[in-house]
Amino acid sequence: MKTRVTELLNIKYPIIQGGMAWVAEHSLAAAVSQAGGFGLIGAANAPVEVVREEIRKARELTDQPFGVNIMLLSPHAKDIAQMVTEENVAAVTTGAGNPEPYIPMWKEAGIRVIPVVASVALAKRMEKHGADAVVAEGCESGGHIGQTTTMALVPQVADAVRIPVIAAGGIGDGRGMAAALMLGAEAVQMGTRFVVAEESIVHENYKQKIIKARDIDSEVTGLTTGHPVRSLRNQMTREYLRMEQEGASFEELEYMTLGSLRKAVMDGDVKGGTVMAGQIAGLVKKEQTCAEIIQEMLSEAGALLKKDWNIG
Amino acid sequence: MLEKMREIIAEQLNVDEAEISEVTSFKEDLGADSLDLFELVMALEENYEVEIPAEDLTELTTVGKVMDYLKAKGVE
Repeated sequence: MKTRVTELLNIKYPIIQGGMAWVAEHSLAAAVSQAGGFGLIGAANAPVEVVREEIRKARELTDQPFGVNIMLLSPHAKDIAQMVTEENVAAVTTGAGNPEPYIPMWKEAGIRVIPVVASVALAKRMEKHGADAVVAEGCESGGHIGQTTTMALVPQVADAVRIPVIAAGGIGDGRGMAAALMLGAEAVQMGTRFVVAEESIVHENYKQKIIKARDIDSEVTGLTTGHPVRSLRNQMTREYLRMEQEGASFEELEYMTLGSLRKAVMDGDVKGGTVMAGQIAGLVKKEQTCAEIIQEMLSEAGALLKKDWNIG
Repeated sequence: MLEKMREIIAEQLNVDEAEISEVTSFKEDLGADSLDLFELVMALEENYEVEIPAEDLTELTTVGKVMDYLKAKGVE
């Protein structure tokens, strides 16, 4: 399959794996890239040497291109921004902030720059500052989210910029992929479905929590702090929402979430930890290899796009 | 300048012009989040034909600070 995104990233299929904190490490990223998609290592709050090591390990597993997602709120963001130029990764995606100060440095190093955006204005600004593409991420996504849905955001961003758009949020199979292409996207980014991939190192409890999730099982916390997060409902989200309602301070709420994602991903504490996942978790029913996931999506999307709709 | 600023801010942040003075804080008084502020900055860049780099955004917290900032950039 060919789109401007597959050409930009030099990949076979326009499917990108989200750069999820703790989840998107070298085995998952390498498996996605090896299967013809584009894998991302999520730098999250990790120190620079840890991320460098992840890049090197991924490179041992695949000779295909992959990238790094840099979470700009991280205290290590600046060092990691520099490090990726030394390690010569194929692309950088960014979240939780504005990557403008780093863009010239990345472009000079030949790295493709793909900021994640949740609004038209930010997409336009990123284009103006030299971004190669943007990920338009709707609020169906897991983790930190904006307010507009993928269905509404993607076509508006696609109309506003000339660079290619990658749709994210609520996409979990070939139907979602075909729909995203119809909305004007030239690739999709998926997180939740790759979390349960065989190559994903998350705790079995985390995978089972997603596999068992229903359509209504995700919840948004942190709306009052200005940093809303979508995760699967559990003891943690209930407690958080109760404290939020009682007017707990930003510091109290932050303290509560400290290390809570790690607790769920690594220790398998899916009751007291944060199980980040998108609204599409209800659609994800089984563990498969990354190659199976990608091939299945392609054949589903392909069949839909080729279907004769008998219009007029 | 304040007159035009109020117009731009009112339009971008969907607030009443009467709510806007030099001491108005975008975040605290008008409830603007980071996406709102980007809308505003893009509108300011267009209206005043200036470039506002990302590293300057954090200091632009109130209407008065934006006005000082623009004046320093030569906006009348």
